[in-house]
Amino acid sequence: MAASWFRQPSILPGFGLTLGFTTFFLSALVLLPLAALIFKTTSLTWSEFLDVVLDERALASYRLSFGAAFIAAAVNAFFGFIVAWSLVRYEFPGRRLVDALIDLPFALPTAVSGIALATVFAPTGWLGVRLQELFGIQVAYTWLGVVVALILIGLPFVVRSVQPALVEAQRDLEEAAETLGASPFTVFRRIILPAVLPALVTGFTMAFARGVGEYGSVVFISGNLPLKTEITPLLIVIKLEQFDYNGAAALGFMMLLVSFLMLLAINLVQSWSRRRYVGTGDGGRRVERRARPRNLKAGA
Amino acid sequence: MSIVLDQVTKRYQGAPVVNDVSLHVGQGEFLVLLGPSGSGKSTLLRAIAGLTEIDHGRVALHGRDVTHVNSRERHVGFVFQHYALFRHMTIGENIEFALRVRKVKSADRRARRKELLKLVALEGMDDRLPAQLSGGQQQRVAVARALAHRPQVLLMDEPFGALDAKIREELRRTIRQIQRELDMTTILVTHDQEEAFALADRIGVMHQGRLLECGKPDDLYTRPATRFVSTFLGAANLLLGYRTPRGVRFSSAPMAGGEVPREVVAILRPEEVELCADELAVKSNFVSYGQVEEVLFGGAVERLRVRMAPDGPVPVAPGRDGSTDRGSLLEVSRTLPEQRDFPVAVGQRVAVGARTIHVLPTPISSFTAVAADAAAARALCDSPLLSALGARMQTRVATRIGRFERAPPGMPAIATGPGCAQAAEWHLTHGAVQLLCVPPTGPLPNHVVIHTLDAESRRATLAVAASLLRHVAAEAIYLGIQPGTSAETERGAHLRNLLDARSAALADHGLDMRTELRPGSVAEELEKELAAYERSMLVLGTSNPGAIHWDWLKSLLEGTPERAVLIVNSARAEPAADS
Repeated sequence: MAASWFRQPSILPGFGLTLGFTTFFLSALVLLPLAALIFKTTSLTWSEFLDVVLDERALASYRLSFGAAFIAAAVNAFFGFIVAWSLVRYEFPGRRLVDALIDLPFALPTAVSGIALATVFAPTGWLGVRLQELFGIQVAYTWLGVVVALILIGLPFVVRSVQPALVEAQRDLEEAAETLGASPFTVFRRIILPAVLPALVTGFTMAFARGVGEYGSVVFISGNLPLKTEITPLLIVIKLEQFDYNGAAALGFMMLLVSFLMLLAINLVQSWSRRRYVGTGDGGRRVERRARPRNLKAGA
Repeated sequence: MSIVLDQVTKRYQGAPVVNDVSLHVGQGEFLVLLGPSGSGKSTLLRAIAGLTEIDHGRVALHGRDVTHVNSRERHVGFVFQHYALFRHMTIGENIEFALRVRKVKSADRRARRKELLKLVALEGMDDRLPAQLSGGQQQRVAVARALAHRPQVLLMDEPFGALDAKIREELRRTIRQIQRELDMTTILVTHDQEEAFALADRIGVMHQGRLLECGKPDDLYTRPATRFVSTFLGAANLLLGYRTPRGVRFSSAPMAGGEVPREVVAILRPEEVELCADELAVKSNFVSYGQVEEVLFGGAVERLRVRMAPDGPVPVAPGRDGSTDRGSLLEVSRTLPEQRDFPVAVGQRVAVGARTIHVLPTPISSFTAVAADAAAARALCDSPLLSALGARMQTRVATRIGRFERAPPGMPAIATGPGCAQAAEWHLTHGAVQLLCVPPTGPLPNHVVIHTLDAESRRATLAVAASLLRHVAAEAIYLGIQPGTSAETERGAHLRNLLDARSAALADHGLDMRTELRPGSVAEELEKELAAYERSMLVLGTSNPGAIHWDWLKSLLEGTPERAVLIVNSARAEPAADS
């Protein structure tokens, strides 16, 4: 019995081989470097470690990295939801194009988006000039620039997580709530939002995690002023350039810790929502989605 | 009246999916809307609930006009096919939802929840999540939830569609019981006739957006008015018969006196067929001899197919093998005692009797494409309108080439275009009751204009129009035209006549249509109305073909050859239908 416990018969042959590859690649590419990072950090004493990670410049960079990533993720959660909503619920000319465009920040080398943003938002740039003139806002080379870059990078995460959840949220549910006397706001708050919330939280967390680690697109638009617009990944690069490998490793360890916590949070949210919606399995079979013309209201 | 629908019409992309439906449902009545998928029944139900806006007509619930009231203020309970339970809420929260949004006190909510869970026999399930319940239980919750706010009517859209047969039957009984207990006016939509028979006080059969017939289940089964209902509710042999002074006969052999026999459509239910060894043993009316071609044992009933003798009854629609010269196939079903009395085997010769037949009151029996040569006749049969009508009415389209002495039985069809007016004149003066002028190509009409040249032909014309409109997804307008010079008082009388005709048509044929009275000349007003729509068709009634201005008819028929025209000659029209 013990042997067959994890050797379930499977369509794919070669269980030993595939598991071996999985373990090998995970070890070589994920676990080993991370272990090396932690090991490197341990060559510092506690006080040295604290000196590096609690340095004024480091603290300012955490504030910027995490603060900007949080704001950007929050903005994305809001607008990403609207984008996903319009893509799922309405039929309009160019919908497929917009849908494809969402993935562009995924596909684009981040440096390219960084340069593009910097060009547009620079004080002499096409948008930068107008923002300066009309509102007196400077975007490039301030923390605002960092936020803008992170919004661009994080948008696909939110849209792509929310989209399937919205597709799955059946129109029936809204109509049922409506016939039971719920106002449109109540329908949104009590029916749509709870159905989409786990996906939205996942998207938010992913956009946030990505924002914290983002380097390429930010460095061009942030201006990289120490204590002001310097993000943590940049600080690591600076430390490396000064051959301060241990310092870089210490900062890297901090980021690893945060990433791990993020991942944990995502998984917790996901398992919670699975339990909530799929049930324990006794008769909790999912009802297939109803094919109904989507544009009943939108097409009019 | 609990629910009143008045000429409800809903269009998608210009095509009506619910077409002029008028319906009254009494307090506590259980109405089942039955129809094949795509017949518009769900759309109609959604229109009653306010989930779909309607393009035309009026909806009233308990005397309150709710046409422009949104669904949350209509106070209806709606049950969806896939339950539509809120999956993130417990059963209790689901049921209380309607009360919560109404800000009912929590103690009252709890009491109502308990009461409802007891009603659907799910006590103690309050804290479960929908995903932890079986499909049947989920649908019970959905019913309880729909009843929580004490709605005035309960609407159910295929509520058992996603459940398996056994649970379906059990839930059906529960629903019927709850409905009786609460005296709740209920409309249920289904495509399952067994379900309709089991639940309904009254069944409304829908097809292509129209409510074809509405009545008590047994009435609809024994005395259907339309081909569709007769074949959709149970099985039926549709046969072409000929009305004679001594009843309906099935042989097409010419009768004495040379009179064109009046063709009718008769239905013979499989269970009303009697099989005997020979003609003398037949206790009911002997029809013809036949040969048993297939026997299927099916438990309580035995199903047979009997090939009738070639001179026997003619089916309305030729069989799948298309060979009418081999005689038609008759569906027969027999109970066990019948089987014991007279066992049959495949290949055996039997005498066939009909215990009862029912003659459909439909004025259109079959079509005959009349043309000068075989190719033209073929082309006429293949024209979009005639082939669609033949297929949808499940009726025979015969061909006739060249000249005969009299018009063919049923409805002759001729091609529009040059020579059409002359052919029309010949048919109408040589015994044709109806005449269809068919454009050889072009799309099906979606706008039908009905006009009668005199008051006497109104009844017959509306009957034919009703029969036609059941099979064409078109909107109909009954146009009255009055010379512009007539006095105001005459106008009132004329309008009254039109509206009377409209309500008579609704009562007799279930056909509802818009009615309009216009001043002006007949030719001009008709032309104007027809030209306003790209795909229009004219139904023209007259009681005296001799009085038609043939020049005008010529311009009407040959001026726009892409328009179909149906002419009804009530001088020889159907006497009042009886069965």
